[in-house]
Amino acid sequence: MSEKVNQDKCELVKLRSANELRSTMDGYFARLKEAAETGKRKIAWCTSVGPAELLYSMGFEVYFPENHGAMLGAGKNADKYIPTAVAHGYSPDICSYLTSDIGAFLQNETPLRKSGFSSVPRPDILVFNTNQCREVEDWFSFYARHFNVPIIGIHTPLCISKLSPEIIKSVSDQYHRIIPELEKVAGRKFDMDCFRQTVGLSHDGCVLWKQVLEKARSIPSPINFFDSAIHMGPIVVMRGTIYAVEYYKILLGELEERIENGISAVPTERFRIYWEGMPIWYRLSNLAKLFAKFDTCIVASTYCNSWVFDDLDPAYPFESSALAYCKLFIVRSDSVKENVLEQLMLEFSIQGIIYHESKTCVRNSNNRFGLQSRLFKRTGIPYLEINGDLNDPRCYSEEQSIIAIETFIGQLSGKV
Amino acid sequence: MYRLGIDLGSSYTKGVLVDENNRATAFQCVKSGYNFNNASTKIINHFKEEFEIGYPVYTCGYGREQIQAPFVSNSELIALSKAVYNIYHSPCSIIDIGGQDTKFIQVNALGQVEKFKMNRKCAAGTGSFLEEIAFRLDVTPEEFTELAKEATQEVKINSFCTVFAISEIIGLIKNGASLPNIILGIYNSIILRSIELSLVEDHLVITGGLPVIHPTIVSLFKKRFPNSDSPEQSQFLAAYGCVLLNNEKKFDSPQPPTFSH
Repeated sequence: MSEKVNQDKCELVKLRSANELRSTMDGYFARLKEAAETGKRKIAWCTSVGPAELLYSMGFEVYFPENHGAMLGAGKNADKYIPTAVAHGYSPDICSYLTSDIGAFLQNETPLRKSGFSSVPRPDILVFNTNQCREVEDWFSFYARHFNVPIIGIHTPLCISKLSPEIIKSVSDQYHRIIPELEKVAGRKFDMDCFRQTVGLSHDGCVLWKQVLEKARSIPSPINFFDSAIHMGPIVVMRGTIYAVEYYKILLGELEERIENGISAVPTERFRIYWEGMPIWYRLSNLAKLFAKFDTCIVASTYCNSWVFDDLDPAYPFESSALAYCKLFIVRSDSVKENVLEQLMLEFSIQGIIYHESKTCVRNSNNRFGLQSRLFKRTGIPYLEINGDLNDPRCYSEEQSIIAIETFIGQLSGKV
Repeated sequence: MYRLGIDLGSSYTKGVLVDENNRATAFQCVKSGYNFNNASTKIINHFKEEFEIGYPVYTCGYGREQIQAPFVSNSELIALSKAVYNIYHSPCSIIDIGGQDTKFIQVNALGQVEKFKMNRKCAAGTGSFLEEIAFRLDVTPEEFTELAKEATQEVKINSFCTVFAISEIIGLIKNGASLPNIILGIYNSIILRSIELSLVEDHLVITGGLPVIHPTIVSLFKKRFPNSDSPEQSQFLAAYGCVLLNNEKKFDSPQPPTFSH
């Protein structure tokens, strides 16, 4: 129930580290821009859970089109670009990161202009890992054709139940196999010590990011999903660099301070929810306010947890990279996913789960094969399914979703 | 003093006047149009002529906060569950077919929402779907119901989309299918869309504007689910439930507010 007098109640406590986040991201874009303008360093495009460590270790500046896709979504511009990609033969039912990114490129527009870029940085090579989906290969192939540059990648098995030595070896071997092409483009030899160091930095950054996310186990939580979806930027684009490590030390410090001082992300936290699926980028801020209005904190999410590669080990850089990037939630079987989610429900004291069924992202919509019903049977934790999309606002009915969320919180309040 | 519940839905705004013994004593329904405030004002003014209304009024539906009178807004699903439980006093499943939404709600033994699901962002299977088809076929809702009784066999309507369903129907007409058989097919396609929301395993209560305007839908549900029924005036239940949910609340002010038109 909400009364008119309370309509605007949507208190959210902003993180002070947002300033450091901005300068960390600004630094990343400045390095990328310099590489694009001077050609002093080669630029590799990489998928968001691709072999970033290998690329950074070989001296590339690394650009992530998915990050660009999220920027288009969060900027509420994706629907302006998607029709252009569709007109070029890309279905509106496939990944809307892909369609909005390619559409923006075809329209010669990019939010990177705000960072001084004239266009997205020209790639010298495109490197993918299909662990997250097959679309990334098609996506990168568009640019490989356009720029006439090499495209290489790692094909990871899907729906992995057991991380067998054969799977790890297969992926590890593929890491080795892409090195000669990278050497050719980079103009330098692969250096094992550099790779070990980068893997070590990636490990450290991931561990810090994990610790950041785990702070949300506190009741009330000092951070929510909507914060994390923004503050995850460095672990996505600077994984394997000192910049990510330094940033997460700052963020972690602030969260520890918050817990000590009893400051929570949603001051009136009564309900703790798990978000399964992609963020709804174009409504991130509205949803943050809506949940706060309902005294609800989204304390954990599959999405933000997906950049925790704490299995990386500099002693075994290839094998541990293969393990870490195959252990990823999205590439696992439903039975493994159910176990992971059940554990998270306990660790974060979750009272309800929201499944965002993203119209154009099948792999990140885990309510399509009955997982939600099976998990409910195991845990008894109520769930809500919302239909929407990561980037395409045409797939989302805001009014209907608000009613559903309000009802869901009402449903939970009957149980506390 | 009467309490007023208003369900400001996508197609219609429904008001229910409730007395001190929780009896629904008067009903009023107007088209929502483009201005929810106007629609609710019409409802309030209608009741004000004869009854003394206490404020706030209790609202739900898409326009639940688009009202100038003092209000307390509610989730229409929780309100509907409350009202249905108030009738049956036992756990049940509800399928509510409204203008733009079809909802499944499982009500537990305490009268609370145990589980619910709403239709996707698609009008197929909702009241708007039927309204659009009736308009295109130039058939009134009353004629729709009567014609369905003359059906000799069901024609399958496969389209998920309202617009393509109409194209499909035109194709069926072209191929000689009779209008009654097509109408039966349309009704059954609505039922199929609604029962895919969730498994119905207990007493099924069918509510909303569509079963009231098209009672044949209720008969067809009964064929599939013998343990089902539809309470009278079921399109007003969510509005009524809003008042029941706020039973413990006291009237803030006996003075009616000033409305702008």
